[in-house]
Amino acid sequence: MLTIRHFTKRYKGGKKAVDDLNLVVEKGDIYGFIGHNGAGKTTTIRSAVGVLDFEEGDIEIDGISIKKDPVACKRVTAYIPDNPDLYDHLTGIQYLNFIGDLYGVPRADRELLIKKYGDAFQITDSLGNLVSSYSHGMKQKLAIISALIHRPKLLVLDEPFVGLDPKAAHMLKTIMAELCSNGSAIFFSTHVLDVAEKLCNKIAIIKEGRLITHGKTEDVKGDHSLEDVFLELVDK
Amino acid sequence: MINIWRLTKIQLLSTFGLNKALHTQDTKERRKLLLLSLSILIGIFMVAAASFGYSYAMAQLFEQMGRMDLLLAIMMSAASVIGFFTTIYKASGVLFGYKDYDLVMSLPIRTSHVVASRVLLLYMLNLFFTLVLMLPAGAVYAIQVSPGASYYLFFLITLLFIPLLPIIAATLIGALISWISSRFRASRLISLILTMAVTIGIIMASFRMNGSEQVLADVSAQLGDMIFKLYPLAAIYVDAVCSSQVFSILLFISISLLVFILFSTVLGMKYKAIHTGLTTSHTNSKYVLKSLRTSSPFRALYFKELRRYYSSSLYVLNTGIGMILLLVTSIALLFMNPERLGQLIEVPQLTDYLGRMVPLAVSLFVILSCTASSSISLEGNHLWILKSSPISQKDILLSKVAVNLTITVPISMISCGMLIISLRTGWVESLLLMVIPVIYACYSAMLGVIANLKLPNLEWTTEVTVIKQSAAVLVSMLLGFISVVVPLAIMFMLSHVDGNLVLSGIGVILLALCYVMYRYIATRGERLFQAL
Repeated sequence: MLTIRHFTKRYKGGKKAVDDLNLVVEKGDIYGFIGHNGAGKTTTIRSAVGVLDFEEGDIEIDGISIKKDPVACKRVTAYIPDNPDLYDHLTGIQYLNFIGDLYGVPRADRELLIKKYGDAFQITDSLGNLVSSYSHGMKQKLAIISALIHRPKLLVLDEPFVGLDPKAAHMLKTIMAELCSNGSAIFFSTHVLDVAEKLCNKIAIIKEGRLITHGKTEDVKGDHSLEDVFLELVDK
Repeated sequence: MINIWRLTKIQLLSTFGLNKALHTQDTKERRKLLLLSLSILIGIFMVAAASFGYSYAMAQLFEQMGRMDLLLAIMMSAASVIGFFTTIYKASGVLFGYKDYDLVMSLPIRTSHVVASRVLLLYMLNLFFTLVLMLPAGAVYAIQVSPGASYYLFFLITLLFIPLLPIIAATLIGALISWISSRFRASRLISLILTMAVTIGIIMASFRMNGSEQVLADVSAQLGDMIFKLYPLAAIYVDAVCSSQVFSILLFISISLLVFILFSTVLGMKYKAIHTGLTTSHTNSKYVLKSLRTSSPFRALYFKELRRYYSSSLYVLNTGIGMILLLVTSIALLFMNPERLGQLIEVPQLTDYLGRMVPLAVSLFVILSCTASSSISLEGNHLWILKSSPISQKDILLSKVAVNLTITVPISMISCGMLIISLRTGWVESLLLMVIPVIYACYSAMLGVIANLKLPNLEWTTEVTVIKQSAAVLVSMLLGFISVVVPLAIMFMLSHVDGNLVLSGIGVILLALCYVMYRYIATRGERLFQAL
């Protein structure tokens, strides 16, 4: 579903933020992407969803290169950044409808899914209010709903659990599992290693822009906890 | 006191992309910013040269009258009026509309110092206008009068205090409007209406004042009396600088400083309450899902952009005031005979001139109403939404052009309709009057988008930085202005050629430029947007 080949991203000045990264996320995968601050997680994620330009390597979504046909790639992808800044001047429902329009979601589908996920995240009652009045957690919930209403084949999330209350975090995990059982794929970064260990069937660890290990969760961690493995690898 | 300067410095660094220019490692970016600074400097030099020429011409007249003091009085009043009008509608935005409010207010700094730093930012920006107007005037005065050394000292000291009072007067009105608005549910809308009403009211009142007294037209000793009566601080200023009166300079500085301190302290007491009132949203937790209306991606982008436009009173005021003034002028002309207007400014062939020049004059208002030049920068932290959505970059950029056209085209069409009636233009002139401003509207909107793509500022903390002080806005405004002034000059030079023919030629050239810009947006523009 998501194939990253020899991806390298240099920042102005020539410093490599990500260096020759290769990774494959298949249908049904919940793929955790782990690394310390500044390791290159967000750069990789932003490039994969077409927000950040890159010159070296290629990224394919559903067999299509994001460089060659970004619109086709984005049509099947949903992205939630680590700090979802949404349009403050719109109400929650206006924002969801706007996203629905951009993705061409049929009206019946749109209404059904907004109701379903709005109720699940207990935000339906507040959808008539301006986004500027929302708390950080509510904005996060709204961003998640907007990502789900177009039934993405690939869901890419950057630190999705930050700011969510325990109930909403649990709901998100359930929805992620549900999506993958329906054939979608999820690629997300996190610092919460417990969640990654329990939720992900595959894990990749990145350090200073280079992938140091990746594969099935049980293969990556072996007999140890993911936390022990992570700390050992990044401290090397 | 040091904290006031620290806060002001932080804000200044984000103005005109100054800090980016100082610290960027990208040589291409640095070269671009260097070129921009150079062109701004050339622009300043040109304005200063024009200001010098204007002062010099006035000085010849005042010398004959033996009233050279009037030169400084007039220029000081002009600098004050410019300071007042350019501050009144951005005061609220600078004072209350900044994203790092929480950060700044949590610092161990007095609220009055925070207010003072916001006023000082306005002061710094206006000081620039004051210098451009006053330094040439001061030089001309020195050449003509050959004053003593105390003149130079007093002139330079007072220079720093000239913008203070007009800014505080404008900021006071801005703060009052914010305070009144903060008490209403629809605070942003109320703020927008009040600011617009006050600005137009003051402009109309000043026109009426000039018309009734009729003294500005015939230069006489009464002129000085009128300026001093309208703005007593000008009299104190003239006494201080021209007559080197120590008491007057002390009085001038004391009044300016006292008003500044008093304003910062008093507003500091109400600051949090006003900010809370302005930023608190009235929420309702009883929303029930209704049937949703779907639309095409382009329509969705267009309405999102339009809502963004109307959500910011600063954005509307800064880009909409020109169109409102155009409408007001067109309505006023409906009730005024153009021949009478000609007599008023002693140009009897005014109707003839107006018929030729009016399409370009209307276009000037259109150029001043460019919303597109800050529309990409205003996306700021929200840019990820558009960049990750399955829509072409061209559609995103054209939706911004479409919003700009929505602001300019209907009002200019209505105004031109009224102008056709009041000026009794022939059918060819009428057609040109309708078409030329529309071509300029397309030209200005696309020029704005390209300027913003080339000179984006996505890391702003207050909208003012983008809407009023960004490089993209300055460049598109300057280029737009040149695009009107050059055809005007051509019209004057080719006065023996049929004016309609010349205007049609200008229209065709602009249409060709529009096509080139459209192609640019559709191809290179996409890549530039993606690289943001």
